[in-house]
Amino acid sequence: MDARFDPHAGLWRRLLADPWFVIGASLAAVLALLILLSPWLSLHDPHDMSHVPFAPPSGSHWLGVNDGGMDMFAELLAGLRNTLAFGLITGTAGLALGILVGLTSAWFRGWADQILMRLADLLLAIPAVMILILLAAFYRPSPWVLALVLALLAWPTSARLIRSQALGLRNQPHIAAARQMGGSNAYVIGRHMMPELFPLYLIAFAAKVRMAVFMEASLSFLGLFDPTRKSLGRTISDALPFYYLDIWWYWMLPPILLLTLLIMAFTFLAVSLERFFDPRLRAAWAG
Amino acid sequence: MLTWRGHLLAYLVAALAMVYLSYLLPGWLPGDFVTAMYADSHVALGDDQEAALRERLEAGAGFGAYLLALGTLDWGTSYALRAPVSELILEALPWTLLLMGTAHVLATVLGFIAGVEAAWRRGGRVERAGVSGMTVLQGVPEIGTGVLLLMVFAYHLGWLPAGGGATLYVEYGFAEQVLDVLRHLALPLATLLLAWFPGNFLLARASMVLVLGQSFLDTARAKGLPPARVRYAHAARNVLLPMATRFGLRFAFMVTGALVVETIFSYPGLGTLLFNAIGARDLPLIQGIVLFSALAVLGVNLLLEGVYGRLDPRVRLHGRAL
Repeated sequence: MDARFDPHAGLWRRLLADPWFVIGASLAAVLALLILLSPWLSLHDPHDMSHVPFAPPSGSHWLGVNDGGMDMFAELLAGLRNTLAFGLITGTAGLALGILVGLTSAWFRGWADQILMRLADLLLAIPAVMILILLAAFYRPSPWVLALVLALLAWPTSARLIRSQALGLRNQPHIAAARQMGGSNAYVIGRHMMPELFPLYLIAFAAKVRMAVFMEASLSFLGLFDPTRKSLGRTISDALPFYYLDIWWYWMLPPILLLTLLIMAFTFLAVSLERFFDPRLRAAWAG
Repeated sequence: MLTWRGHLLAYLVAALAMVYLSYLLPGWLPGDFVTAMYADSHVALGDDQEAALRERLEAGAGFGAYLLALGTLDWGTSYALRAPVSELILEALPWTLLLMGTAHVLATVLGFIAGVEAAWRRGGRVERAGVSGMTVLQGVPEIGTGVLLLMVFAYHLGWLPAGGGATLYVEYGFAEQVLDVLRHLALPLATLLLAWFPGNFLLARASMVLVLGQSFLDTARAKGLPPARVRYAHAARNVLLPMATRFGLRFAFMVTGALVVETIFSYPGLGTLLFNAIGARDLPLIQGIVLFSALAVLGVNLLLEGVYGRLDPRVRLHGRAL
């Protein structure tokens, strides 16, 4: 029997039998390695403008030099790091808020649930990108502030997902037993509810990082970040005015490829995890 | 969860919050409103212009006056383009509606039909390849496909124009004009289709597969109904609600994608207008476009809430089913 559908196989064995998970995880690992090794990989400082502008690729500049005299390979690695960092910050903060709100809502119900879920409805209705554009255009805050603002606006989807599953879990006998034993709210939530919903966090995290990377690329493409900050979206928009030159294969294509691989990695992870853990979709996958 | 009236209230509150934020933000900048809005931009105000602006702002201070001004289409003036913001937005809007509307209708209808047919033939080789291909395509952002299509079809092959919404300064007959607009529409439209179709296809297929095992389909078949009627009138109906729900959740991101795609192809819609406004730090124009788009997103989402009720009577009676 295929290990993916064997209920007795361990979680990791089942995940590792899913090609989407393996491809997504490998892509993410390769990109992470590229970032970790970047101090040794790139020969130049990405902000150094002393090279010959528009120089084609050579032994010293593997991907050539851009119009500002900056080494493209170094720029690419710095951009990849910044774009991913933005995604990870939004993903982590958004997930933490989602867990907090989702579990609070499901556990206490009543007025706390009402208030938090109405707030979630409100935030779901407001387009986050518009608030980010407004903030970025007016105040030019640091990217980390924008990443956190995006997390503040993007928690409702994960909070709803976690709440709906936590409501079911709340009525399980072992939770009742833990409360019967005299466990406090914090004890039951911390020791039982939170760890048992772990798979949901993986889905929510992968989906959030994917969304945030897409947002960062779009916002930096539109020119809403500090122009000296390296980002994959910015590199693409910098290259676009020169599309008629013969630069596309070493200037235009690499950032597009890296951005695509980055988004693909998190898409595949989200798709694969969702098929395993979201009970509504499990039937569709097995079918 | 929420009833229709509750939704209306939530959206009104959200809309007011957006308007209030856009009213409040310039006030938090250092300096007074005029220096804050214009000091950094690429335009210099003349003394008389500055005096006129101050007078206007002092007359129209307060949130109530701001709301009233918005209602009467007085959205301020873009000093970079020397035109009223509302006029610029209304000029660009038809292009954005043409691009986004066509792309959305095509992506939804094609995704729905392809998803339903794929679910009907599930397990086959074509279906498996389709699902894999679409999952891969879901990982490709609009920026990537847009730039690649531009490079291949506009630059290397030269089949289609690289930018703009129509050829300028030429006299065309009506048929030629339509053809010209369509030729300019082709590349941005294809980019958005490639971005939006896969999600619709995968969701339609997954929802359809969930429906297929249910016994009401056996009943329909046993009544001797033709297969196409069983497939669409009975089974595929149930796919519509998840697709509408997904559209509501995705709409804000679709707008983000459309902004980027318009910029890549310098399509004369709101996205390109916003891009140019950001480049010139034309704050009144940025503020106007952002507020307008946010209100449009809220309006469409509110309309959708009404559509859910029509698609699924359970929603009408008990609030949202999901």
